[in-house]
Amino acid sequence: MNFPPKNPAGLWRIREVLRISIFLGLTGCLLAQDVPAPLSGEAIYSKHCASCHGKNGEGVKDEVDEPLQGERSLVSLAKYIDKRMPEDEPEILNAEESQRVAEYIMGAFYSPEARAKNSAPPKMAVARLTNRQYRESIADLLGSFGKTTVPGEGKGLKAQYFQSDGMNKKARKALDREDTRLEFDFAEGPPAEGISPEQFSIAWDGSLIAPASGWYEFRLSTPNGARVYVNGERQEGDGNFRDDSGAKRQTALIDSWVSSGPEMRVETARIFLLGGRSYPFRLDYFKFKEARGSVKLEWKQPRADWTVLSTPYLSPAEAAYVTIADKAFPPDDASEGYERGTEVSKAWHEAVTSSAVEISNGVVARLRRLSGAKDEDADRLPKLKDFCASFAERAFRRPLTDELRQMYVEKAFAEGVSPDQAVKRSVILVLTSPRFLYPELGKEKDEFTVASRLALGLWDSLPDKALVDAAKAGQLRTPEQVKAQAQRMAADPRTRAKTNEFFQRWLKLDAESDLLQKDAEDYPGFDAALVADLRRSLELFVEQVVWSEKSDYRELLEADYLLCNERIAKFYGLPVPEGGGFQAVKCDPAQRSGVVTHPYLLARLAHHDTTSPIHRGVFLTRNVLGGLLKPPPEAIAFEDHKFDPKMTMREKIAEMTRNANCMTCHETINPLGFSLENFDAVGRFRTMEKDRPIDPVVDYISQDGEQLKLHGPRELAEHAVASEAARRGFIRQLFQYELKQNPPAYGLDTLVKLDATFNASGENIRQLLIEMNSLAASHGVKNPDQASR
Amino acid sequence: MNLSTRRNFLRQLGLSAAALPFLPALPSLAQGNGAAKMQRIIFLFTPNGTIPPEFWPDQTGPDFQLKRILAPLESFKSRMITLKGVHNKIRGDGDGHMRGISCLLTADELLPGNIQGGSDKPAGWARNISIDQEIKNFLQARPETATRFGSLELGVAVPNRADPWTRESYAGPNQPLAPLSDPYAAFDKFYGQSKDRENLGSVLDEVRDDLKKISSNIDPEERELLDKHATFVREMEQDLQSANTQNLMFPPPALEQGVALDNDGIPKISTMQADLLVNAFANGMARVATLQYTNSVGQARMRWLNIHEDHHGLSHEPDSNADAQEKLIKINIWLAEQLAYLAKKLDSIPEPGGQGSMLDNTTIVWTNELGKGNSHSLDNIPFVLVGGGLGFKTGQAMDFGNVTHNRLWVSLAHAFGHFIPSFGHKDFGQGGPLMLS
Repeated sequence: MNFPPKNPAGLWRIREVLRISIFLGLTGCLLAQDVPAPLSGEAIYSKHCASCHGKNGEGVKDEVDEPLQGERSLVSLAKYIDKRMPEDEPEILNAEESQRVAEYIMGAFYSPEARAKNSAPPKMAVARLTNRQYRESIADLLGSFGKTTVPGEGKGLKAQYFQSDGMNKKARKALDREDTRLEFDFAEGPPAEGISPEQFSIAWDGSLIAPASGWYEFRLSTPNGARVYVNGERQEGDGNFRDDSGAKRQTALIDSWVSSGPEMRVETARIFLLGGRSYPFRLDYFKFKEARGSVKLEWKQPRADWTVLSTPYLSPAEAAYVTIADKAFPPDDASEGYERGTEVSKAWHEAVTSSAVEISNGVVARLRRLSGAKDEDADRLPKLKDFCASFAERAFRRPLTDELRQMYVEKAFAEGVSPDQAVKRSVILVLTSPRFLYPELGKEKDEFTVASRLALGLWDSLPDKALVDAAKAGQLRTPEQVKAQAQRMAADPRTRAKTNEFFQRWLKLDAESDLLQKDAEDYPGFDAALVADLRRSLELFVEQVVWSEKSDYRELLEADYLLCNERIAKFYGLPVPEGGGFQAVKCDPAQRSGVVTHPYLLARLAHHDTTSPIHRGVFLTRNVLGGLLKPPPEAIAFEDHKFDPKMTMREKIAEMTRNANCMTCHETINPLGFSLENFDAVGRFRTMEKDRPIDPVVDYISQDGEQLKLHGPRELAEHAVASEAARRGFIRQLFQYELKQNPPAYGLDTLVKLDATFNASGENIRQLLIEMNSLAASHGVKNPDQASR
Repeated sequence: MNLSTRRNFLRQLGLSAAALPFLPALPSLAQGNGAAKMQRIIFLFTPNGTIPPEFWPDQTGPDFQLKRILAPLESFKSRMITLKGVHNKIRGDGDGHMRGISCLLTADELLPGNIQGGSDKPAGWARNISIDQEIKNFLQARPETATRFGSLELGVAVPNRADPWTRESYAGPNQPLAPLSDPYAAFDKFYGQSKDRENLGSVLDEVRDDLKKISSNIDPEERELLDKHATFVREMEQDLQSANTQNLMFPPPALEQGVALDNDGIPKISTMQADLLVNAFANGMARVATLQYTNSVGQARMRWLNIHEDHHGLSHEPDSNADAQEKLIKINIWLAEQLAYLAKKLDSIPEPGGQGSMLDNTTIVWTNELGKGNSHSLDNIPFVLVGGGLGFKTGQAMDFGNVTHNRLWVSLAHAFGHFIPSFGHKDFGQGGPLMLS
């Protein structure tokens, strides 16, 4: 439920009315005895509420714009009204009156049931593929015509060490092993025993695992010779290691084979990669008579700093080439907090078109591999047509009718154009077709719709072969069948990649923030390297919890440990974990509680030199406690120097927001932020702010309407876990991210139903994913068993 | 044309900048604006030296006879110069082959490096810009001579590896430029956008048809979005149609499809690259080009001449091996025929907006990595100039006795109006340009 701030004129008006009624109320008391019959809920509503909320809860322009609808229980609604309504004068209604008006509101228009009774149910928003869905679909569409691979274990690369002999870089193999980190300084010595230091070569082979989608930069530093290959297709002759061989066909991402004297050369290149997938990777290196040998390959992941490329992002496993649509698309609409494809624009259409042209060029260049049709095949033409038909069928997510085959395949071939040009035309046509770009198009909803929704929901992509086969065989009819597919798909790395992106967003890991740059004098040691480690700590924590057996939502909020490496442990005064890398370090449970107190977030939600209870409070309200906040009516920057330096941050914020106009939202925001004041701007625990003790105890009216006294972060987290509104808020956010739709479009009780199963599953997040996707996939699809008979 | 001029130009045509990616290569606005005389240059590279007795005319001056190797150029005799006595004197690191190609157009030593040749010290890339790029930069810096690409780097069967044996053109010290050896890729680079445009035109039509079909069976909300989509399709079609009114001055060459890009494809690739180059010049895309046949140590097996040994292997055979000598002569005759084909092609097209043929305004510079293969000598590089436009006195055989090739490059720069005092290695820059006029 949302209570937006009033414009000042509106406020004034309400106050006048209230003043009069208070006066009358007092008079009534003095006169005693003759008490009128208690007003009905409806009467109370029309007297105290309708002026802002509208006669039927529809809202009033410039007062409360939004309809009075929600998911609260009756108890919670009644409590809420009693504590907070009418705004500015909540005392006017006692508990009993609040209860009555709540009952009325509930039955008349507030509850899902009431809304179902009153109006046509909300429909799914019409949408095109989001940019992520487009890219994932393209990768899987092209990938479906060849070998597919899943990311291997990120334990390092296969390394082969050779003694060289002049032009022959691979004269004699001296060593096979796995290397975990691409930084080597051989100085003037050999890389291994049995190799002469003067000339040797090394080939590192395997795959690169990209954790997130975006542009990756690579930086190769060597005074010797090296080439880097990323996402190249293995070609004949690639293994040839003679200097003068013309056999190599693959194009290197960075070619630094030729040195320039003894100086270190540094070369960079960038490439767009999709997260959660692995890519063919190779680093070839040689030293020849230079004084020193060294090679280092660093990379810069999206939104991260330069680091040496190392485990867990390197695997000895093979990987198949991935087709990447790297054209820039205009950003998707994210006005509701998640990306969705509800808008089309000229720029988007142009991006789609030029991307289709680019991909068609790639298809033609790789046509033999993709279609299996050799140039010399007598039946090359029919094979190419079949390829194009399969391409269309997979892109459209349903079998191709004769009419569509004619339109999308035969016609392209029919005009006397060369076969390659025909393929190109057909591919461009398919990729610019509304049948590909708008996955829910048309009134007919059938098993292919179910398959399409499951693939979009769990992967943001196209159905795989198993799913299409199931649809064709009529095995997506019962809820059990659908759930079984969702269960299978949830184990796929693409589910993990997509879900991880949700958590990135949920925990504000998805964008760079200058708030993470802290005052170096006040916070020595809080540098880019530590920030990168903190990011990793939070990412790992979420991944470990979500992909563990229990996948327990409560652990996200209540864990009493922090994943630390040496740097983090030292900075936060925790015991340095043994064994290197990130390990769980137990903390004082009163001090640390899951994501609520993770230092990355605490620092991300603070200014560069002070805390920011507002940032923290807004985050907790929106993301953790299920509340909705409108943007502030006017943006006021917090300016520390304008306050008396003796004041605490809590006092400053209270002072800054004390205006009633502010307090409609800050009444919720501030106490939540204040309860984390024990953490400084870099997330270290503290009990003093300068020379003043910190008071983290707050009074807080929850989204459920309860008046709470919270004593610090642990109680805050416990409240989040116990709160129905918070839980449903989490379900809603996940649902919106997964399905790109609002839950009520699938039935007004969607959240209530999902909440019930979530609760029953021990708040298992992965189970929740399966449940919501199964529910959404079958929505509005007639069970053909019933429909046709 | 720079981007903002191009934008303005498009605006005048009523095209949105958004249509840019699909527009054809517009001919240079400078083309035909008459004032400056058209000048173009092509550096043609072949490997492994020549067979001097069958290459150099016995006479000097205007009365000279072409020997066997240059015989294919007979019809251009009055429009060519042979330049004997011009040596590549660059020494330093790297073997003769590396220096032969990488110091040829750069006229300076290689940087120290890690690439070991058959002899000498290992070396790296060239330390100087190459003369083709020097001239290109000069032309690109002036609006009246600037073109879409400035220069084209084309190859015939250049192996897919980057090292000092495979690169002749350098954008600067340590910045080798890769020649494009795939005629289909070159076609895409020059004309791909107009081909895409053609494809798109027919595709958009189909998309609109299907949109109509789909629209008959959907909800109103869906229709609203699809109607918008249909508008964008229509707008793009209109943009493309207006773009179609801007045709190339010369249509793209029709390339034979499916030519294998391997050793045996070389004769066809050679013709295709020459056709592409001349067509691109005619359409005003560039004024400078390099056309590189294989690489230094080039190992083509010219089976189409019934020669089954590789070129480089043969070039090591001593003068006494008459069979090898005869084969090498045939190879060089074939290479001269490629040059003749290019010259004829240029001569067959009247200069767009100018006088004479394109060959009258284009000079082809035939270069080689070596003077003689079996001695690996860098003296007497078999330089030949064919064509016009640079104000040189053609129709003569010249012998300079003993001059550095640095000075030849200075002459070329000066002919373009780019008056550099010297080029390349400081020890070899003395004496100014060679007298060619």
